Amino acid sequence: MTELHPEMHERRILGTELLWAFGVGVLIALTLGMIVFTALTMGINPPSNVERIDPKTLHLSGEFAEHNLGTTVGPDGSTTVRIIATQFMFVPRCIAVPRGRLVTLRLATPDVIHGILITGTNVNTMVVPGYVAQVHTEFTRDGDLLMPCHEYCGTGHSEMWATVQVMTNDQFKPGADGRVSCAQR
Amino acid sequence: MHSDQPSAADDPAEVADDIDKAALARVMRTVPLGAAVLAGSMVALLVIGYLLIYLLIFIPRGTVG
Repeated sequence: MTELHPEMHERRILGTELLWAFGVGVLIALTLGMIVFTALTMGINPPSNVERIDPKTLHLSGEFAEHNLGTTVGPDGSTTVRIIATQFMFVPRCIAVPRGRLVTLRLATPDVIHGILITGTNVNTMVVPGYVAQVHTEFTRDGDLLMPCHEYCGTGHSEMWATVQVMTNDQFKPGADGRVSCAQR
Repeated sequence: MHSDQPSAADDPAEVADDIDKAALARVMRTVPLGAAVLAGSMVALLVIGYLLIYLLIFIPRGTVG
């Protein structure tokens, strides 16, 4: 039995470590490449929006006044949903959205930090007092989806949820004012 | 240490065996390979799990941004 010379032994260890580091480097490059690829080709990005709003007055006038909440289809056909997340409910409690079209969700809160996710989709964001949370998405299946608050906001947190009603083009008919409400089912 | 207190070194079962240098060298020749296989397969499992979730759950859930 011949023993390795210490220098050979060290060289072998270094070779193994370099090989391992190369493998880890390839994995990291692959992961980052996939993230960049899906971002550029499929529009999958982390929601990012820095927009301030005064939480003390957001319900009094402007974008998040009561008559502006819910789903609105603009003259250019874009669909925007405005929601207030407050202890312990969403206003409105049911949100109508079209299937297969780009939808912009805009949320604000007058009280504490909330968060939303919509089941079966990648929609997931925090709603922080003082900021407008904005998410762009496209719903691919029609039906009712659950939208719970996913950030503990107080004793009524578990009761805080809304319904997202994804409608087909036949069902999604804006009124003269461009607004769409949930269908009674 | 007081002499009336027993020491672990007094117990033959607690004292390390004499190490045969040749046997150690023989074992150390395969131990790094085993460690590499174990670490490599665990990382591979982790990456496969990540890819399955990314490709089968995250991507089909559609566009967001």
